[in-house]
Amino acid sequence: MTAHPYLQLIDIDQYFGQFQALKKVSLSINEGEFVCFLGPSGCGKTTLLRVIAGLDSLCSGQILQAGRDITYAPVNKRDFGIVFQSYALFPNLSVADNIGYGLKSRRVSRQNKTARIRELLSVVGLERSEQKYPSQLSGGQQQRVALARALATSPGLLLLDEPLSALDARVRAHLRHEIKQLQEKLGVTTIMVTHDQEEALTMADRIVVMNHGLIEQIGTPEEIYCQPQSAFVADFVGEMNFLDGFLCNDSQVQSQSIRLDVSQTGSFSIDSPLRVAVRPEDIRLRLNGDRHNVLNGTVLDLEFLGSKARSRVAVKGHDQILIADISMNELTELELRNGQNVDIQLPRDRLQLFGKAAS
Amino acid sequence: MNISLVAKGQPEQMHRHHLLSRRSPDEWALGGILLIGIAALTVAVVAPLYTLLSKSVQDHDGNFVGLDNFATYVSTPSLVSSISHSLTVALLSTLIVTTLAFCAAYAITRTRLPGKGLFRTILVLPILAPSLLPAISLVYLFGNQGILKEMLMGESIYGPIGIVIGSCFWTFPHALMILLTALANSDARLYESAKVLGASPFRTFLTVTLPSVKYGLISTAFVVFTLVITDFGVPKVIGGQFNVLATDIYKQVIGQQNFEMGAAVSVILLLPALLTFIADRWVQRRQSAMLTSKAVPWTPEKRPLADNLFTGILLLLSIIILGMIGMAIYASLVTFWPYNLNLTFKNYQFDLMDGGGWEAYWNSIRMATYTALFGTFFIFFNAYLVEKLKGFGIAKFLFHLMAILPLAVPGLVLGLAYIFYFNSPSNPLNGIYGTMVILVICTISHFYTVCHLTAVTALKQIDPEFESVSASLKVPQFVTFWRVSLPVCLPAVLEIGIYLFVNAMTTVSAVIFLYSYNTMLASVAVLNMDDAGDIAPAAAMAVMIMLTCVVAKLVHWVISTILLQKTQRWRTRVTEGATS
Ligand SMILES: Nc1ncnc2c1ncn2[C@@H]1O[C@H](COP(=O)(O)OP(=O)(O)OP(=O)(O)O)[C@@H](O)[C@H]1O
Ligand SMILES: [Mg+2]
Repeated sequence: MTAHPYLQLIDIDQYFGQFQALKKVSLSINEGEFVCFLGPSGCGKTTLLRVIAGLDSLCSGQILQAGRDITYAPVNKRDFGIVFQSYALFPNLSVADNIGYGLKSRRVSRQNKTARIRELLSVVGLERSEQKYPSQLSGGQQQRVALARALATSPGLLLLDEPLSALDARVRAHLRHEIKQLQEKLGVTTIMVTHDQEEALTMADRIVVMNHGLIEQIGTPEEIYCQPQSAFVADFVGEMNFLDGFLCNDSQVQSQSIRLDVSQTGSFSIDSPLRVAVRPEDIRLRLNGDRHNVLNGTVLDLEFLGSKARSRVAVKGHDQILIADISMNELTELELRNGQNVDIQLPRDRLQLFGKAAS
Repeated sequence: MNISLVAKGQPEQMHRHHLLSRRSPDEWALGGILLIGIAALTVAVVAPLYTLLSKSVQDHDGNFVGLDNFATYVSTPSLVSSISHSLTVALLSTLIVTTLAFCAAYAITRTRLPGKGLFRTILVLPILAPSLLPAISLVYLFGNQGILKEMLMGESIYGPIGIVIGSCFWTFPHALMILLTALANSDARLYESAKVLGASPFRTFLTVTLPSVKYGLISTAFVVFTLVITDFGVPKVIGGQFNVLATDIYKQVIGQQNFEMGAAVSVILLLPALLTFIADRWVQRRQSAMLTSKAVPWTPEKRPLADNLFTGILLLLSIIILGMIGMAIYASLVTFWPYNLNLTFKNYQFDLMDGGGWEAYWNSIRMATYTALFGTFFIFFNAYLVEKLKGFGIAKFLFHLMAILPLAVPGLVLGLAYIFYFNSPSNPLNGIYGTMVILVICTISHFYTVCHLTAVTALKQIDPEFESVSASLKVPQFVTFWRVSLPVCLPAVLEIGIYLFVNAMTTVSAVIFLYSYNTMLASVAVLNMDDAGDIAPAAAMAVMIMLTCVVAKLVHWVISTILLQKTQRWRTRVTEGATS
């Protein structure tokens, strides 16, 4: 049996007055998948999530969940749990009452309810906190209570709107891991909104990159990172160097006075303007025998980033400064210093070409 | 599931098909309640005002006469003079009260005086008394047989002087509270930078303090101006032959039964109030924009000279206020002023004199209780719907508009509008005329706006996603209102309740046209007894009203304290989870 899409969005449009916040968004999500909506602030991630939840009614389009048309279903006729950025924990209810809030209306017996609350608390690692109030918990703990509350009714779909953004870096990294594990254990289809690419790359099965209300690309973290389909995605996810130029023959690109070999030219025709993109970690400072695409330049400065170092290199024949990352080992081996003259290589198979128009 | 079946154009159809099922039944029910709320406000505020406006352009028989009533008004010199009288008195009072209240507020927030809490309590005491109380005190202090009569150097207290002093007394707390809030919100960082830049204290005051309370000051001036120009109690008691707009309405309606002229004067009185209202809204918007950035609280430093000066000011103001109140109490206990100064409770035997007796007092208590109970419930629940219900955008906007409107309507005008509207034989609600019901409705309507805004402010502070979360958990919204929103907002709810109670006890203007033989009220009794020359019993009744309000305040304070203690466990840092 082929995997049926669990959730399907078809041509979703959303307007706020004259402003179009979502433009023909189509997407399908499989059962048990962990999907991240990733994009810069204001690109419409939250809007899309709220449309899926039914918190805002959409202008046009269709939403199917488990084969059921829920486009216009009211919120309480849908099957999802949600965690907001603010957590929205009820301050006057204890942790147990917060988690059990949705169980009340479902004619769950008292013992079952207590058992379920205890179970959920242990799932999120908050045993023995039943009687505390939200204000007595740390941000990370509040986050877990919100998660437990959303999961209490065993929803088929879990929606998370920037669940980690209010936490400090250490707690965030920890919870990232935990949420992912929990999601895998429960197998609940999950959509998480984030503008943190690292979060998306580490947690998601698939990432939906959005910009200006449009979906730019849908793919696994690897695809998004290694085969970005637009300059926007390439730039937004990870670091990227861009060199403007044009195709001068079927295997070379001219950018200012530099000529670069490229391995494939895609759909570009000769003379068409384009941008060559290369990731900082793909630029080689330690050359082997292969001498293609080697440029001479000067190290402007070096920045230590812990496990690696980032150098800014001014290349001869080009006014664009390139960023190149090297490991600390390489750095000591090369004895790189500010102002040093270096040869760098932009490996042919690591160069990506994008149209000029795209952002 | 075959998706390719979804053709273009189909969503449009679905749109219509699903319109009813888009909202859950409880959302529809709550929307229905909101519509009932709109209907209620239409009947209680909009329709009466409309009737009043149309009456002002009709003659006695209901024929349309255009602006004839206004023309008559303008050509009657004794009436026109009221306009300049009202303006003079209101402007003068505004100037005095704003200045004094600013000094007091500055002293309380910006100096390191001992006993600030006590001063603060004393200075807001006048709010618990009917506006008639200072007027009566003035009669005893500066009247024909007053103990301080010489201080006026031959001038009479009956007239503008009395009106201004009396108005200043009862409007002072209103001004003080606005300015306290405005001053309390200032940002320490600004003061620190001013200091670092070497600005002198006076320069700091001019460049930092004043601009930061600019809107508070404007707002105060407008509020005081409206309160004074629309007040009826003080000029009635101490105004003598000095006519003002508010007393004109009363005389036209009660004295001469000239309702059309009363309506015309009402419309004139509506104008300054309306202007004030618009200006105040504008100021509020500016101010809230200013407060959005996070301010760091500021602790004043010790400045012996300034501290002493401000202690002096606070002491003086407190003495004046306590003196006025004390005078009224003393006068109510004296056997026969000024000839027999033996103390007695004879003036409290209201049943032995005209004016309604103790019955009036109990009526007031009943009226205030009903107003507080029903008013708080109605106002808060509807404010909740306006803030938290999904959809129903037009209905919510309409309701909000209607809820703000009463602020622009003087009590006297509202009362007159009620006569026109409810006393009309063709009105099916005609039956409530002359009953307790109309008094309660009128009082709730009169004080609606402040309560509504209090509720809205409190509701805005709680997380906007509570309703979304509970809907996703399939809990009806009403349950969430009951279990979460209401408990979290309980302090604001109690605040609304006590505000309504105190105002219902002390108000005169809104109910003066609406009481009947069976629904005589204490505040009206004060006025009537004073009118009949029974000034001591009038003072006694005014003191009773004030005592009742003090007790009510104490009860409110006790309940709030207990409540805060009980809920302290979750109220501490409650905002963190909501805003972070
Ligand atoms: N209720 C609303 N009314 C008008 N405009 C809105 C409303 N909600 C969102 N928008 C606009 O729609 C766009 C998308 O907003 P959305 O909240 O979905 O962004 P986002 O991707 O979640 O951004 P962020 O990362 O900042 O949360 C923004 O430009 C925003 O200004
Ligand atoms: Mg967002």
